[in-house]
Amino acid sequence: MSVEVPVKTAGMTQPLDTAAPSRDAHPVAMQVKGLNFYYGTSHALHDISLDFPERSVTGMIGPSGCGKSTLLRVLNRMYDLYPGQRATGEVIFDRQNILNAGVDLNVLRSRIGMVFQKPTPFPMSIYDNIAFGIRLHERVSRSEMDGRVEDALRRVALWPEVQDRLSASATALSGGQQQRLCIARTIAVRPEVILLDEPTSALDPVSTARIEELLDELKTEFTIAIVTHNMQQAARCADQVAFFYMGRLIEVDSTARMFTTPREQQTQDYITGRFG
Amino acid sequence: MGNEPAHTITRYDQELDRLRGIVARMGGLVERQTAQAIAAVVNQNEEAALEPPELDPEVDALEREAEMLAIRILALRAPMAVDLRVIVAVLKMSGDLERIGDYASSIARRAAKVEVLDGALSFSALRAMARLVQENLHMAVESMVENDAERAQEVWKADTAVDELYTTMFRELVTYMMEDPRKIGPCIHLLFVAKNLERIGDHATNIAERVYYAVTGEMLPSVRPRGGAARTNIEQPE
Repeated sequence: MSVEVPVKTAGMTQPLDTAAPSRDAHPVAMQVKGLNFYYGTSHALHDISLDFPERSVTGMIGPSGCGKSTLLRVLNRMYDLYPGQRATGEVIFDRQNILNAGVDLNVLRSRIGMVFQKPTPFPMSIYDNIAFGIRLHERVSRSEMDGRVEDALRRVALWPEVQDRLSASATALSGGQQQRLCIARTIAVRPEVILLDEPTSALDPVSTARIEELLDELKTEFTIAIVTHNMQQAARCADQVAFFYMGRLIEVDSTARMFTTPREQQTQDYITGRFG
Repeated sequence: MGNEPAHTITRYDQELDRLRGIVARMGGLVERQTAQAIAAVVNQNEEAALEPPELDPEVDALEREAEMLAIRILALRAPMAVDLRVIVAVLKMSGDLERIGDYASSIARRAAKVEVLDGALSFSALRAMARLVQENLHMAVESMVENDAERAQEVWKADTAVDELYTTMFRELVTYMMEDPRKIGPCIHLLFVAKNLERIGDHATNIAERVYYAVTGEMLPSVRPRGGAARTNIEQPE
């Protein structure tokens, strides 16, 4: 009996097909290169390099103090508001290093919007919460403003709930509504990038699901970076996930790959709950 | 997969350990079933033939237990990465193990019916095949218990030889039956025994594939080396 069976030995294994198509298909909207960040003498971020693909969601995870929120605050120069904080390296956005001294921060923050952990409605009417941001950057007529406000509120699915009480105080809204209002305020100025710092950690599951659904919709138009402590949220929302630990970027990959087959032991220990 | 540091939540580790324990136990049982079934046929040991069917209910119960526990962990712990891979592997491996038990029982039930063929050429092929399958099953179970991807890959490659032996037996038995129609009955039983052994080998290979995936996160190619798959066509004698 002569039976020849081809036994492949080289390149025997094939990786599970978990690559998110968006990683390669989308051009890079924002590129962090060799970024270091300091709070005074404390070195908070070490040599971070990370691409944010256009019109997709980048999730940033890691234990408290790992630097993920710090990185988010660098991306729109939020840290400039505090003395003694400085960044070196590059954050390339629209062919420009936004860390450069000459950058107009008001313009930058209109192009790179931010939503915080706790909803931060201004103590004014629902209408003015949206109009306020637009007025800062543009001069628009009353009727156009009405349209912009309605559009922003519709985009975050808040319009049906508030259309009859636009002049009511925003602080009377529920937590979930307030957070959606904050997102509406951010997108009303038509940014290119939206940064979210644990946007649902103060919300109940239904409000959280609404925000996550909203992100899915917004990413068709905006580049989104989200910091979250909730691993399942990163798994649900993000196209790529970056894991940070002690100021370093340990691993970044497509979401499916990160949560099924991470390359680094530290990532695996963290996402499987074996940390510390 | 069992070589990871402990979870922060101790109960989670306990549940995963229990899950691994269940399939390890299943592995031991079906190895026993297979060994006894083989002894029943090749040594014509009547007592050995009784054991595999007797062990079946226990194997079935363990399969259900593994499934319920795996579902519970999936629902309550939202497992990720290696934990997720292990749980999915366990779910599939418990099915493979249960099938192996069934095949062993089926072999044991046919033992008495193939006695007249003892001494025929096919019987020595069956012995060789039985030894190989038993070895492969043992290695597969070991790789499962010890999270040994390398050993799993060996099992995966070794199944080719089993397939080849089965093809050889198939052809021989067809020839026997053509030569002497009175032997058709026992020959068919022996063919089923061989086929069941070959199926046990396949399930051992499946287990090896699950282990490999659970440990490495990579899948072995969907097409594995096969011997004689297309060679069981009945050919007319010259």
